[in-house]
Amino acid sequence: MHDELWDDERLLRELAEALADPGDLLPLLVRQGYEIFGWRTVEAELALASLDFDSRLVEPLEVRSQGEELRLLVFNAAPLSVELEVSRQRVTGQIVPPSRGCVVVETTAGPLVRVEADDVGFFRLPALGEGPVRLRCETETSRLVTDWVRL
Amino acid sequence: MDGESVLSRGSLPKEESALDEWVAAAARGDVRAWQELVDRYSPLLLGVLRRYRLERAEAEDVAQTVWLRLVEHLGELREPRALPMWICTTAGRECLRQLAASRRAVPRDPLDDAWQASLVEPDPVDDVERAQRREALLSALGELPEKQRRLLVLLATDPPPSYSEISQRLGIAVGSIGPTRARALERLRACAPVRALLDEAVPHQAGARGDRRA
Repeated sequence: MHDELWDDERLLRELAEALADPGDLLPLLVRQGYEIFGWRTVEAELALASLDFDSRLVEPLEVRSQGEELRLLVFNAAPLSVELEVSRQRVTGQIVPPSRGCVVVETTAGPLVRVEADDVGFFRLPALGEGPVRLRCETETSRLVTDWVRL
Repeated sequence: MDGESVLSRGSLPKEESALDEWVAAAARGDVRAWQELVDRYSPLLLGVLRRYRLERAEAEDVAQTVWLRLVEHLGELREPRALPMWICTTAGRECLRQLAASRRAVPRDPLDDAWQASLVEPDPVDDVERAQRREALLSALGELPEKQRRLLVLLATDPPPSYSEISQRLGIAVGSIGPTRARALERLRACAPVRALLDEAVPHQAGARGDRRA
């Protein structure tokens, strides 16, 4: 029955449609993918904090008021997490549970800026550029690196 | 000749190896295994990007973020099928983020129907179905061994190259193209995502939506 439904010719036609690449993007995607392997982190005892919450995704197509968007992101590597509040001018962050530490922002070109988190885990970052970034956080007890994200 | 000798060397998985072995090797830091995964699943990533109709530069940004993130998450992908699903989910989410960001950048009237319409095909149901077919086929394609995969990609170009050209490009005898093609298509049909797709398609044929073109 399946064969009648999708004979070889149909299957190939469907495959051709699926593989269509009008913008000739595929070679670029492959090249990007190859290059990115160099960014693999290989340090032991470095927890990966996944992007578990992004306010931008909660109501992605909601029409916002004229006011500026304040974006909230949460990266989780239980028991530690990092919360970011991002506005156009600045980025503030909070290590949870609150603890002193240091935070390094990385771009694909390398480390960008290093700041200290205060006694209650609060830190400020300058406005970050367009490209992907990730944060490395180190407290007295844990080390984590967040997922890559564009802010 | 077709890469098999290279792949068999050392501790690398063989061409026929199950997907999870490639994933495990890449997670251990094997660059060749990583490249194999990129080769296998770039078409799927592209397929997801097409679903969201991003500008070209936006699509490139999303792809970069997805690859960067996949490198770090490889170690968590235990099931063979987890990888294509991970790509679909992560890329889909990043596309939505991108759409939300670009929508935010330009003030828009909530009643701007023309802009809304530009995001979807004239027939949204058909559009979603096509995207699902595309992603199922491309997920399955990634599970095929290299030789079969490359052959199907060549045969799916329009117009397809002649058998003698295929023979040259893939390094297989003209006489074995037909049988390889048959095996590859059989294997594609047997892959879980395509099986699910075909099972779903049966009621259409049975008349539930018999008005659809055959």
